[in-house]
Amino acid sequence: MGNVPVGLYLSRCRGTLGTPDVDAIAARFRDRVDVCRVVEDFFAPDVQKSIVAEIGERGLGGVVLAGNSVEHHMRSLSGPQLKESIVDAGVNPNRVAFANLLEQVALPHSADAAGAMAKAVALVGDAIARARTFPAIEIVETVPDRSVLLLGATAASIVAAQRLLRLGYTVTLADTAEVDPSLSIGGSFHATGAFVSSHPGTTVIGNAALADADGWIGDYAISLTTPDGTRPVHVGGIIIDDAAAWIEPLRAHYALSVDDEGLPLSLGAAHPARTVDPGIMLMPAHDEDDVGEVIRAADAAALAVVLHLSVPKTVRALATSVVDESLCGGCASCVKTCAFGACSIDPETRLSHVDVRRCHGCGKCVVSCPVGARDVMSSPHVQMLESIRAMSAADLPAPRVLGFLCAGCGYPAADAAGRQAAEGGESYPASFLPIRIPCGGRLDALYVLEAIAAGFDGVAVFRCREGHCQNLVGNLDMDRRINLLRTVLRSRGIDDARLRIIDISPDEGVLFAQEVDAFFSELEPLLLTEGSLR
Amino acid sequence: MKPKLATVVLGGCTGCHLSLLDLHERLVDLLGAVDLVRSPLTDAEEIPPCDIVVVEGAVGTVLDEETVRDARAKAETLVAMGACATLGGVGGLRNVLDTADVLARAYGDGRGPLASDEGADRAIPALNPLVRPVSAVVDVDVEVPGCSPLPDMLFDALVAAVEGRPFEAPRRTLCAQCGRRHESMLQHDSGFVADAVYGVMELDAIDPDLCLLEQGVICMGPVTREGCGARCTEANIPCRGCMGPGRKEFEQGAKMVDTLAAILPAGAIMFLDDLIGTGYRFGLPSSVLPASVGRGGGGDE
Repeated sequence: MGNVPVGLYLSRCRGTLGTPDVDAIAARFRDRVDVCRVVEDFFAPDVQKSIVAEIGERGLGGVVLAGNSVEHHMRSLSGPQLKESIVDAGVNPNRVAFANLLEQVALPHSADAAGAMAKAVALVGDAIARARTFPAIEIVETVPDRSVLLLGATAASIVAAQRLLRLGYTVTLADTAEVDPSLSIGGSFHATGAFVSSHPGTTVIGNAALADADGWIGDYAISLTTPDGTRPVHVGGIIIDDAAAWIEPLRAHYALSVDDEGLPLSLGAAHPARTVDPGIMLMPAHDEDDVGEVIRAADAAALAVVLHLSVPKTVRALATSVVDESLCGGCASCVKTCAFGACSIDPETRLSHVDVRRCHGCGKCVVSCPVGARDVMSSPHVQMLESIRAMSAADLPAPRVLGFLCAGCGYPAADAAGRQAAEGGESYPASFLPIRIPCGGRLDALYVLEAIAAGFDGVAVFRCREGHCQNLVGNLDMDRRINLLRTVLRSRGIDDARLRIIDISPDEGVLFAQEVDAFFSELEPLLLTEGSLR
Repeated sequence: MKPKLATVVLGGCTGCHLSLLDLHERLVDLLGAVDLVRSPLTDAEEIPPCDIVVVEGAVGTVLDEETVRDARAKAETLVAMGACATLGGVGGLRNVLDTADVLARAYGDGRGPLASDEGADRAIPALNPLVRPVSAVVDVDVEVPGCSPLPDMLFDALVAAVEGRPFEAPRRTLCAQCGRRHESMLQHDSGFVADAVYGVMELDAIDPDLCLLEQGVICMGPVTREGCGARCTEANIPCRGCMGPGRKEFEQGAKMVDTLAAILPAGAIMFLDDLIGTGYRFGLPSSVLPASVGRGGGGDE
């Protein structure tokens, strides 16, 4: 495990990453990795090619990309391609680690060179450890089912269905209301409806409700309840049009992000039709009475789904929860805590069992597991402890705060905070050290104790606003345990103001900076009266 | 030559030694296999050089610390016996208090002389600031959990020590041994398994076959090591956690918060009454934060 050869690539981010000094960071780590290189921009094709070539030549098993945020790599137009090419070159996806030196160090701390340097060193060191020690995860390859389920038999769905049928896909149109089988919706789309309804590749299901669903891109198994009984539907992709009717039941099975009204959110302006689930698309917002808007929305959704399914194979990295059967006692607390029904107790063995087709790797079961019989591949318990210690070793002035950032809200909000600070907005102290967690519900009481024991003066947890959690109840789960945890802290003479829980949305960068600042102000007097906890 | 065995008591209640006596006839087997050179039942004050020393109790006083260091120096193999020796035990709950408060609570004004008092001759040994498990002071070869340990497990551990074999108690949770049925625990919803938290005496009727947590009774079974045979839960008594955690790094007090909050209404008042006494009854000195932070972090002082 410790001998995985690791390549460290630092990006100047096309000149935007000035402070801390990237070359100085490279010099600090040159002896600790097998390849260490500073590049101008990860996303330049020649840079990608050279990284891929080096992976092969040097037999790299882990890669650290230090520069742009992990969010950038996942959500930008060119970002995912870099990770895909690294994975194709033979690096396990769990050993591609990111050190966010731009949005979470350089942009917010440009005025504090020493602080930025210390924080950057901590983040890079931690990322190297993750690239080296994270368990390799299984990758499932699927020949994608070239069929699409359209939820809501609306004009936009019918137009999208027509596009898909023309490209050789099959479609299923489902609606919660009664649907005219001839799809005659009148107006401009009369002929389109007739084409779709008479096409042999079309199935129309009215009065439908979602009974059950599992799987992933290329391989979704859906079960619809209809007046005639339950209908299984197997598709490669899903397009949600009538979001109001379908989002609630879908969220019980797939991790999706939503806005204040509970309606699904896209990945942002660059991807108006994509959601955090790569096979589930949204019909971009449109005026249903405006023919042009309907067509543009339908085209965007149809193209998005085709781009993802017109490939020889789709891949799913199983960054799921796992069970150590030598430790599991079958207490079933994981069954109760999983919002997706992915955990169950095997009646034969009386041990916990994970349905990987339903597990989204949020890690709540790892927290609720009383004995460490559970772990989640995307944030293994042992590495969480290592990360806490790595962050505590950063040479930064007190007060020092450890920030646990939910990947769905707190982490992108921290990125937004960096961007707005670079534009002259409010900044926050470099002594705030971030750890990305897959869900607020991943916060183990042990991690708060460890952070205090490691010398942090405060612990901040940024988690989703009520109703926004991709894992439905991760933030609610945290509420349930937080007062008990505060009692545990007080029993050790620790003012529970040192633990701060902050509700946030992904785009709230200003709020993020304000909240961090406010927390530091609150910790100042605690330092004077109690002394630093170090 | 038979191996020489010594036993000592540090900060403990001698309950673990009673477990030794509870070996009944097998005590004869044990005494046939070893030479008992020192124990609380003999008059020897000093620990003679020996092969195995069995230590009961936590390290809470200056004298405890001297004794356990002496025991370690004299013996080839050191066996930590019971919850106090392995985790710090019930007495470790005093780590949340200052030693002056501890003495005042225990003795009021009527305490006897302390070794630190002027002119004191035979006196209560001075308290260390923190109670620590034996492993925090000296190397431990074998650990036997339980308050008090089960005679069967103790026997197996001692035989292993005599034969020079490793011994490890089973590590799953008590739930693996408790035969009680799960019902709402198996439902895929995030609802609570009980509407409130009750003391056993508050229940009108106890279902003898249903998980106690599902009946609203705080049971430490999920965060506690198996191996006791689940005798308490079989007798309708919830687990108090005396076997400690299956793995020490998953301390019971913190994991109880994580686990039980996922299944029971956490605000239930009775539960909060003594959260620390419930979760850390047997293992506060083995916590990541074994004491009030103002009092130093414990460990190696």
